[in-house]
Amino acid sequence: MSTSWTPGEMMAVAAASLMRDDDVALVGLGLPQIAALLAQRTTAPGIQLLLELGVFMPHPVEPAMGIADPRMWQDAWSFGGVLDALGAMLHGGRVTLGILGALQVDPSGSLNTTMVSAEDGSVRRFNGSGGGNDIESLAGRVFVVMRHDSRKFRPAVEFLTSPGRMLNGRPRAEYGLSGGGTAAVITDRAILTITDAGAVLASVHPGQNPEDVIASTPMPLIVPDGGPDETAAPTAGQQRLLRTELDPKGWYLG
Amino acid sequence: MSKVSSLADAMSAVTDGTHLALTGFSITRSAVAAAAELVRAGRRGLTLTQVIGSLDTDLLVGSGCVDRLIYSGGSLDRFGSLHSVNRAISAGMPAEEYSTLSLTLRLLAGSLGLPFVPTRSLIGSQLLERLTPSGGAMMISDPFSGSPVLAVSAVRPDVAIVHANVCDDEGNAWVCGPLWSIKETALASARVIVTAERVVPRGGIDPSRITIPGAVVAAVAEVPGGGRPTSVFGAYDYDAALLADYAAASRAGGETFSRFVADRFLTGALLTAAVAR
Repeated sequence: MSTSWTPGEMMAVAAASLMRDDDVALVGLGLPQIAALLAQRTTAPGIQLLLELGVFMPHPVEPAMGIADPRMWQDAWSFGGVLDALGAMLHGGRVTLGILGALQVDPSGSLNTTMVSAEDGSVRRFNGSGGGNDIESLAGRVFVVMRHDSRKFRPAVEFLTSPGRMLNGRPRAEYGLSGGGTAAVITDRAILTITDAGAVLASVHPGQNPEDVIASTPMPLIVPDGGPDETAAPTAGQQRLLRTELDPKGWYLG
Repeated sequence: MSKVSSLADAMSAVTDGTHLALTGFSITRSAVAAAAELVRAGRRGLTLTQVIGSLDTDLLVGSGCVDRLIYSGGSLDRFGSLHSVNRAISAGMPAEEYSTLSLTLRLLAGSLGLPFVPTRSLIGSQLLERLTPSGGAMMISDPFSGSPVLAVSAVRPDVAIVHANVCDDEGNAWVCGPLWSIKETALASARVIVTAERVVPRGGIDPSRITIPGAVVAAVAEVPGGGRPTSVFGAYDYDAALLADYAAASRAGGETFSRFVADRFLTGALLTAAVAR
């Protein structure tokens, strides 16, 4: 089945559809920015967006190169610092949602954003934690937005930058973590929800064959009785917004 | 008494082996002119603390000035990775990697003269596992409830550099826009050097706008364009072409990088171009 949307557009739309109008959301670098802004501009106009630098409620109108691009801070309601955004808001328990990217996830939604090793054994380092560990450790729930690349799904992540919903098979609260950890992994092919029992293939996107998705997800995956749901397709309005305003150059969704 | 001096004189507080703290964030408000001055002076053996690694840190690490790094990761946003930093760590440079909040809390503890502060971040991660031997973080019991909590120890850098929009001659500095960990980093450090887009006489800035009080500032240097090619909110945007060139040079490393740095950051051409705009 051919579709009239790109994989990136589908991913942003699927992630945005799970965000709530009353969410207070800390937004990570990359695709999470686009998904959060799409929600803000469409289905969740009341969502309170925060950036770890201390930016409250930005309303960017130009595409930004990241969270440190002042375009991303445009028309913000207020500025503060890390101790406001990640301190009083996040550590203080006021942040209901974190939106993050990841290099790798495992069935408990644990994240690696630090390094991956190549087949020849060499190690490639990436951006590291930044506020990612803080957000995964402390937010009410976390959405992970990432490409559905089979190398990114692991029975256990190569480097545990941020523990997910469970840690060593036990509830994370036992270790002193607050918040719920990863609630969902949203890719360009499917939505996985993370439960105490592990990752569940909750829905596949229109045009995706569930068997193919499962085969491309090399980690334990629970398939609901009766199979996964189908994710709602992007609307023309969502696509227009993504293409003409949020990511016209295809930096994130291309 | 005026604290205003030349950039070179202000930076003489940083000597070989100094624990330096920088306050840029990725591609914004990096103390590029100050870092270039340290490269020019041939500083070696620095310990460098920066909450989010930015261009200035990559420049110093890539130029061989840094022996040890304390940070929480970083990047040049979509322009690329901190290639010089990543390469140096892969080659064995000691690096302690925190998260944004946990390192900011270490600086907060340093600023308050406290031995540590408790947090619920970092717990259970491999970041923490790697940090424990450094003495920067340790699981403890909450003395009130007995539940597990993480203690992160104070960090007190010798010198912090802040690139401000406006600073008066007594060192009262105004930083426009979001402040990430700028205040905590400055207040944790024994000496603060402010480079500023503009220096004005005392009284020239509304006191309610002051971000860093002059009481903690040792020296002020007027350096228009001192953050370029990174952005300085309220003053200028980033220079996308130069950032892209920087990212490519940092990725290449070696001779390519040092030649690029010499040509584009050490000659004064950058500064002249910045002022001309």
